[in-house]
Amino acid sequence: MDYVSPATLTASTKPTGSLTLKGIRKQFQFKDRELKVLSGFDLNINPGEFVSIVGPSGCGKSTLLRLIAGLDDSYEGVITLDGQRVAGTSLERGLVFQDHRLFPWMTLEQNVALALTNRPLSKAAKAKLVAEHIALVGLKGFEKAWPHQLSGGMAQRAAIARALVNEPKVLLLDEPFGALDALTRVHLQTELQRIWLSSGATMIMITHDVEEAIYLGDRVVVMQANPGRIVHTVDVGLSHPRDRASPVLHRLKDEILAELTNPPVEASSVVPLRKDQDQ
Amino acid sequence: MIKLDALFPSPRPRRQAIRAEGGPTGPGEGQVTRKNAPHPSPLPGLGGSQSGERGRLRLILSIGSPVALLLLWQVVTALKLFPPEVLVSPAAVVAAFGEIIASGELQRHLSESLTRLGWGFGFGATFGLAFGVALALSKTVERIFGPTFQALRQVPVLAFIPMLILLLGIDEVFKVVIIAKAAFFPVALAAYDSIKGLPKSHFEVAALYKTPWWVLVGRILIPATLPNILAGARLSLTRAWLVLVAAELIVADSGLGQMMEMGRQMFRLDIVMVGVIVAGVIGFGLDRLFQLIQAHALRWKAA
Repeated sequence: MDYVSPATLTASTKPTGSLTLKGIRKQFQFKDRELKVLSGFDLNINPGEFVSIVGPSGCGKSTLLRLIAGLDDSYEGVITLDGQRVAGTSLERGLVFQDHRLFPWMTLEQNVALALTNRPLSKAAKAKLVAEHIALVGLKGFEKAWPHQLSGGMAQRAAIARALVNEPKVLLLDEPFGALDALTRVHLQTELQRIWLSSGATMIMITHDVEEAIYLGDRVVVMQANPGRIVHTVDVGLSHPRDRASPVLHRLKDEILAELTNPPVEASSVVPLRKDQDQ
Repeated sequence: MIKLDALFPSPRPRRQAIRAEGGPTGPGEGQVTRKNAPHPSPLPGLGGSQSGERGRLRLILSIGSPVALLLLWQVVTALKLFPPEVLVSPAAVVAAFGEIIASGELQRHLSESLTRLGWGFGFGATFGLAFGVALALSKTVERIFGPTFQALRQVPVLAFIPMLILLLGIDEVFKVVIIAKAAFFPVALAAYDSIKGLPKSHFEVAALYKTPWWVLVGRILIPATLPNILAGARLSLTRAWLVLVAAELIVADSGLGQMMEMGRQMFRLDIVMVGVIVAGVIGFGLDRLFQLIQAHALRWKAA
């Protein structure tokens, strides 16, 4: 497989896809109680960077992606893409959900082509884009397949092809491999790395899988819940494509897992349930 | 009742071929796809000997109950448990069948009935669809007509017959209205439910790709609601046919029901029996036809 290094890509194309999040606050009204989902989230993402976000359930990761995608406009703070303030959805920002969300009544090809309906392109140009992106995710030969004929991994590849067919500056991935079995997941992680390198898009991936986050991310953002905030940002500092067996990845994984599973707790806030359980 | 689906094997070949070939690359996905494929042969359903035998067995099983019914009928008439004028023998029914076909009577009544069905079902299903869509889309329409709609659909169609006869007489209009009423509710309900049940995710995907509204409606929302609406329409058609025959039994000067009513009055129970069988076969045929349309329109669905 030919790997294109990100350096040559950024050199040949304009550096676009730089995302800035400043002071993002978001709360939900929940039975006359304000539920803080995100409190003061700041993050700068460089063009072509791969950022992984990990954190416990309910830390506002998915909400964050929905805000960036423009599916939800009610928040405080500023999100800009290449200096332009983000408002509503845009073809510049693609989103892949955990469930593939392909339409079952359209073939793979039609599903991918649907994403292009709002592009002022000729039929031939659209067909070319669709074919290229189906090939990019390795589904050549399955153009006419219905979604129910695809395995979970193939359907998720198709969803990635649909999200990339508009050549977005930013691709947002919301636990894209969360519903897949372990083997398929590992395989698709490698594939995503290749796709990212060849597309040159900025990618932000949310995941529960720390290993996945470190293997793919240039940076890993660790979040905590109540309220959702960044507790730590880890620079992985390894070039792509990466070797899974790298000791650096393993050390980082242990560190982040420790941080996520044993959050620093103030001693005074711990109240033992029963005295005799104390050690 | 006979399970209709069992009478015929599925009309569309089960498309498992793609899965069986395995994923495009990688051991992980290949295994998953192979595990998902229920048949080992590359094109199952297109004539493996195993599936052929199973199909034949299924056919025998489903033909079994009508044949048994026929045998029982023959035995009971041969034993003369009932007077032969009351419970006519199968042979007499076959003879009567030949007689009214030769005289053209059956064809005339049947075409009258089917024409009525066409008009009644056409009007009923069309208005039902329009009403169901309006009810689902507009809060105002829902507030105004919702309760009336829910209450009216609980009233059996036949309960309207006495009143409608007084209002509309016993001409064609009356019969078409009665059938339309029967066809209206299942389609209206199916349209309402399926639109109300549209998942948010469809709209989100459309929003992400800035899909124009006509594409959203034509290529996402209509296909998404189609399975339910077609199921509702199929139920409508069955109901319309039942109500039609019943209404003709009560008031009509022609039609299948009327033919049976005349047979009863003239004590020609063989003709009544022909009517019963024809009503059953036509109803079955219509349902089966609709099922084929459904299968074609929803061919993207998993087997």
